[in-house]
Amino acid sequence: MDPSEVEFLAEKELVKIIPNFSLDKIFLIGGDLGPFNPGLSVDVPLWLALNLKQRQKCRILPPDWMDVEKLEEMRALERKEDAFTPVPSLYYMEITKLLLNHASDNIPKADEIRTLVKDIWDTRIAKLRLSADSFINQQEAHAQLDNLTLMEINTTREFLLDSLNFMFKLRSNLQPGSSKGQLTDY
Amino acid sequence: MFVTDIRKDFYEVVANQRVALLVAADIDALCACKILQALFHCDHIQYTLVPVIGWQDLSTAFLEHKEQFRYFVLINCGANVDLLEMLQPDDDSIFFICDTHRPVDVVNVYNDTQIKLLIKQDDDLGVPSYDDIFRDDEEEDDGSGNDSDEGSEPSGKRRRFDEGAIERRIERQRARREWEARRREILFDYEQFEFHGTSAAMMFFELAWVLTKDTKDMLWWAIIGLTDQQIHDKITHMKYVTDVATMQRHVSRHNHRNEDEENSLSIDCMRISFEYDLRLSLYQHWSLYESICNSCYTSSSFKLWTLNGQKKLREFLADMGLPLKQVKQKYTSMDMSIKENLRDVIEESSNKFGMKEIRIQTFGVHFGFQNRFLASDMVHATAALLESTEKEESDIAHNFIKALDSLSRGNLDRLHVGIDHAKRKLLAIQQTVASCICTNLILSQGPFLYCYLMEGTPDVKLFSKPLALTLLCKYLLKAFVHSTRNKRCKLLPLIMAAPKDVEKGTVIVAGIPPESETSDKKNFFGRAFEKAAESTSSRTLHDHFDTSIIELKTEDRSKFLDALITLLS
Repeated sequence: MDPSEVEFLAEKELVKIIPNFSLDKIFLIGGDLGPFNPGLSVDVPLWLALNLKQRQKCRILPPDWMDVEKLEEMRALERKEDAFTPVPSLYYMEITKLLLNHASDNIPKADEIRTLVKDIWDTRIAKLRLSADSFINQQEAHAQLDNLTLMEINTTREFLLDSLNFMFKLRSNLQPGSSKGQLTDY
Repeated sequence: MFVTDIRKDFYEVVANQRVALLVAADIDALCACKILQALFHCDHIQYTLVPVIGWQDLSTAFLEHKEQFRYFVLINCGANVDLLEMLQPDDDSIFFICDTHRPVDVVNVYNDTQIKLLIKQDDDLGVPSYDDIFRDDEEEDDGSGNDSDEGSEPSGKRRRFDEGAIERRIERQRARREWEARRREILFDYEQFEFHGTSAAMMFFELAWVLTKDTKDMLWWAIIGLTDQQIHDKITHMKYVTDVATMQRHVSRHNHRNEDEENSLSIDCMRISFEYDLRLSLYQHWSLYESICNSCYTSSSFKLWTLNGQKKLREFLADMGLPLKQVKQKYTSMDMSIKENLRDVIEESSNKFGMKEIRIQTFGVHFGFQNRFLASDMVHATAALLESTEKEESDIAHNFIKALDSLSRGNLDRLHVGIDHAKRKLLAIQQTVASCICTNLILSQGPFLYCYLMEGTPDVKLFSKPLALTLLCKYLLKAFVHSTRNKRCKLLPLIMAAPKDVEKGTVIVAGIPPESETSDKKNFFGRAFEKAAESTSSRTLHDHFDTSIIELKTEDRSKFLDALITLLS
């Protein structure tokens, strides 16, 4: 899966905006949106929020979890625990990136938030790598990881699957009397 | 006619239509175009962008697009000629013209249906009143204001040899001739001098402000448009200072909006600040020494083409206590202790050396940790990109789009390429100025000074473009004024000719008004060139939107000049 596909899926998340135009309820395939009244906040999907922001038709409100203290607590918790802690949102990384790239003037202390989210991400990815490493070393048959987001899974997916496949091929070739004389390509 | 409510009469009219944007090739027009494009993007207005470099381009573009478009927006072109006469449009084509060229043609002012001028009605427009120029033919002259007579001369039908009728007829004809003579005089005075008005980028920024869609990006583009007018010497210093004050109000409004809480803005956000900065071109992207050597103001004040001048420069640097090694480094790597008070130190020393105006009011922007630019840096970089003669196929549309892109914040690498080109251009200008003065290439022809760049001169290809040539003219005149002892020559205007197209054998000729402290930047060369070309039937091409820049066949050069001399003396 391409990271841009994951970002595309992330854009369906709802965020709060304050529009400066008025529009009646609109009926889209994915659901109903609106009505839009200037100055009143409304929940819209992220893709629409970004489009409206770029056309200067709204102001985006940062999600509740995008706050310096809350993120600091989460970072501390993440560093303490060995397992994965619950995430603020299933798509926290993508939402942070999109909002900070396009609407950083609506988000207070944007630089600190960027650093904090990156720290949380780095810690989680490090844990993921450790876990994958021990999985392969101990030749486990299955593992269970809670609280992983799609983007994090996506970073290791290709590598992990390919390496497991390859190791399976190597192992099956080592067994005596195996019918597979040569390595086959998929 | 002049548009009074720009939102209602322009923006809402084109809101649901497809628009053709015809944009001239100068930086102010590029900035105005960027602002308008941003507004169109916000509201999903479809447009087609066509860069035009001259009247022929404008006509061709119009012919190509007149079938599909009803609304045309002309930026920095079209106000100073009778547009309807030139383009012969259909009756339903509407033109919105935002042009800094003055004087605005009287037909454009008084046409109510097809031509809408997006120009502020300043008091310096000086448009003659309607009755002085236009009147219905065959109007009765007895002052009772009755309807115009249908027939021709009264002697057509009525064969009354009445004394009174004949007298009245003669009286009417005399009054008519007087009126026409006065009309010719008024029009001649009105159209004699060419000058420039408020920047087009600023006009469109005001539109954005009225729509409350103004962003810092648009403000920055408006500032660049204004600075372009100042760098290429199109507006007077007074006007520049007034406009800077207007822009400063907007800048403080934007800054105040964002920095009032303790939650300060991300470092990536754009911050525009008012600066009272040095008049040294590109000094923050070059070394201080290079910048001083290649900026017009300092190099002509020190007379850096002479040995004495070089000595004075060294004295100047020593007076400020700046070691030569530091000063020749890239500015960004200079010692912090030197950079801190640099502006004040330079101002103090330059006062001692006779440069009273080393500082000028301008604006700077910074976004991210690394990117700091002054408005003048952007103007030089974009102008260098617009007129780049690098590739063999220097296609005007290509360069236009590249220059347009370099104005966006996301295209910093293009901007840096532009800055490099600008450095080379400034170096070339400096060297050409030095060689012209040292070899006395500037000749006084009586009513004006004249300089011709030979074909083999290094970098002469750069000067086949109008913006670069005008910059060279300005620098050369300034340097000449500082170097000559002849009091009379200091007050003369300058005409410069440089080879434009070697195969076709043409030169580009540009004329600029004389250099003076209180110059009102009014250029009479447009009309003078026209008349001289007519009288000698030289093969000229008055294609450029600035009438003071023309193309001329090399062989006709001498007779053209002679005609000019006789015309102007």
